[in-house]
Amino acid sequence: MIRHLFTLIWNRRRANFLLIAEIFLAFVVLFVVGSLLVYNQQNYRTPPGFAYEQVWCISLDPGALPRAGQLATVRQVMSRLRALPEVVAVGRTSSNTPFSGSTNGSTVGIGMERKNSIESVSGHLVEDDLREVLQLPVVAGRWFDKRDDGATLRPAVISRDLGERLFPRQSALGQTIGRNGEELRVVGLIEQFRADDPLSESRPAILLRVSPQDTAWDEASAMLLRVRPGAGAALERRMTTEIMAIAKGWNVGITALPEQRAAQLKRALTPLVALGLVCVFLIVNVAMGLFGVLWQTINQRRAEIGLRRAMGASAGAISGQVVGEILVVTTFGLALGLLVAAQFPLLGVLNVRPAVYTQAMLLATGLVYVLTTLCALYPSRLAAAIHPAVALREE
Amino acid sequence: MLLSYLKIAWKVLQRRKFFTFISLFGISFTLMILLVVYAMVDYTVGPQMPEKRLDRLLFTSEMVIQGHDTENMSSPSYSFLEHYIRPMRTPEKISISTGQGSTVAYVGNQKLKLDQKYTDAEFWQVLDFDFVEGRPYNGAEVRAAAHVAVLNESSARNYFGTARGIIGRTIVTDEIRYRVVGMVRDVPATRRFTYAEVWMPITTSTVNIHDPEYMGWCQAILLARTAAEVPAMQREFAQAVARAPLPTATYKWCQEMRLYAGSLLATTVRHERREDGPSDGVARLGGLLAGLTLLFLLLPALNLVNINVSRIFDRSSEIGVRKAFGATSGTLIGQFLVENIFLTLLGGALGLGLAAGALHLLNGSGLIAYTQFGLNGRVFGVGLAGVFGFGLLSGVYPAYKMSKLSAVQALKGATNK
Repeated sequence: MIRHLFTLIWNRRRANFLLIAEIFLAFVVLFVVGSLLVYNQQNYRTPPGFAYEQVWCISLDPGALPRAGQLATVRQVMSRLRALPEVVAVGRTSSNTPFSGSTNGSTVGIGMERKNSIESVSGHLVEDDLREVLQLPVVAGRWFDKRDDGATLRPAVISRDLGERLFPRQSALGQTIGRNGEELRVVGLIEQFRADDPLSESRPAILLRVSPQDTAWDEASAMLLRVRPGAGAALERRMTTEIMAIAKGWNVGITALPEQRAAQLKRALTPLVALGLVCVFLIVNVAMGLFGVLWQTINQRRAEIGLRRAMGASAGAISGQVVGEILVVTTFGLALGLLVAAQFPLLGVLNVRPAVYTQAMLLATGLVYVLTTLCALYPSRLAAAIHPAVALREE
Repeated sequence: MLLSYLKIAWKVLQRRKFFTFISLFGISFTLMILLVVYAMVDYTVGPQMPEKRLDRLLFTSEMVIQGHDTENMSSPSYSFLEHYIRPMRTPEKISISTGQGSTVAYVGNQKLKLDQKYTDAEFWQVLDFDFVEGRPYNGAEVRAAAHVAVLNESSARNYFGTARGIIGRTIVTDEIRYRVVGMVRDVPATRRFTYAEVWMPITTSTVNIHDPEYMGWCQAILLARTAAEVPAMQREFAQAVARAPLPTATYKWCQEMRLYAGSLLATTVRHERREDGPSDGVARLGGLLAGLTLLFLLLPALNLVNINVSRIFDRSSEIGVRKAFGATSGTLIGQFLVENIFLTLLGGALGLGLAAGALHLLNGSGLIAYTQFGLNGRVFGVGLAGVFGFGLLSGVYPAYKMSKLSAVQALKGATNK
């Protein structure tokens, strides 16, 4: 039966060429859009690795004011902020704070010769207090503390995946790694630290300690602070006034991390939503077209169907044939489409993980089959309802 | 002749309403998407307020300082533009302003974050802002570093509670008092070089004119006397950049310094695509976009072709009669193309309405601040071209198939394709 259907379609391949081309294109569109959606959805579901709900970010910019005394001003500001009853903890960090849009990528390897090097590692400079601010869970080793003050090598806490990729099958704790020509000692591991926007791929991260002895201010120019639940605009205004009183002439920006995250999410989602809408339109268009063509075909093949019915084919067999035929046409279109889709992971067109392509292929294949079946259902029932006597008399 | 074709087309459309609906749906939505995308592009890089004299304007790109294996990319500094670009002779006027920053004002306890830009006095002469009230600040005020500001309408309403009679009142941003001298109509946030909510004299900012650093956060806008002088201005700009000594004091590894002036389109594309070489990437992006558009059009066009092909055979007896009475294939193809273009025009008119609705929704959603996307003459022209292209694309193949029907078979009502 199925072989017979394939032969039927193959014999009429010229006539079915346009349908096959349409299904092929619809599959490619679904596959590309599906890949992007699956990729972004998987990234979105990866947890950030820290708590950001009650965290605010303060950026301080001295503009062209003299450099001397800048750090002293910042320390004064921080102790003033700590004294506020609504503030739980304050810590300085580098300007690539979570969800700020500013990112860092550097190469990290083993030792100074940077063996086994891993690119695009997100690097952050943090003060000891930042663990309390972001409630970072340390999964192995320890967080920075006073013991690190006299350390010969700068201590670093790295994400678990970075540790596993640098030192497969052994512990990363206590090892020496190199980044930007500086040797570092790994003292602890965290699960992960995703400071990029919520839809981008998770990257390995490395946190470096800013010790109280460091005198340079600009390498950790931002401040993160944890506030008590319920703190709002009134606290923000008070902070601005108090900071301005200490840091005269500085530019102060206070933003809540959840707000920044929501803004980033909106910016990342907008093109995806637009793409999704265009895709839905194209698919609805294809579905209606397919439906129309099938309906028309049934009308043209009344004689043939009437003859089959007269020869004893059941109504079920007729509708089965109609649906079967369109499924065979779909299979031809899909075979072409899968050939094209298979090139995507090989050429790395969309820059997503290869596993995503497989999922998107399955998704698109399933959707196209469902779509064509749905479009064929009504015409197939129409065909099954053809009365042989009427159809044959028309001829 | 044409009239009777149109009459036939109208009758055919009414014959099978469902098919007509599918065709019109496909055409109108395709056109709507094309129009919305084009309107967004036009409102980003087309001649709109405040860059109305776009054919005479040039904008500076990001500066690239290139070493053997290091490359820094950033906007140029105020001092660089002031020392090397300001003295140029070809431009009628040159304006230097900062990139977009932000400042905070408070209304009671409510924080009001304002996008801010520091500019010189020429900024207001090079560009054409719509002043609702007051005036721009002038050269004397900029030289004296007067604390004066120009606000946009929405921010004035948010800060003062009213958008009338605010001239001379005081706005406190970042704890500094500014006197409002002018209020302009809102500038869409898509205008990267000119958009802000509050504009202030560049001398009140922290940029330092004596700073030897080449990289900073400023931009220049150059106005030529006539559109014909723009290429000459571009050449002089290149010479001016070449004359500046390499900043080897700050960047010891520096071997080359690049900065370009280009049209709004070229500079925007250069920025978005992070092009850092002499080519601005417009041609490449244009090619890519044309390819994508064609791909996007292909699916609805194929769909329409499919529908048209199956509709033709409804009319095989009509075609048979016409052929029997001596109509040539050419005439029939012509008739069918006219019918199809008539159909696409109808869909186009619908699409235009849909696009207007979609843009209205987009404006209301506040997705991009202060945008008032709309349909103007250019957008309409693109739409019309799109409709004709689409009509031809989807009409040629079915018309060809129709003309191939042999008269005898058609009269018999044969349906073998």
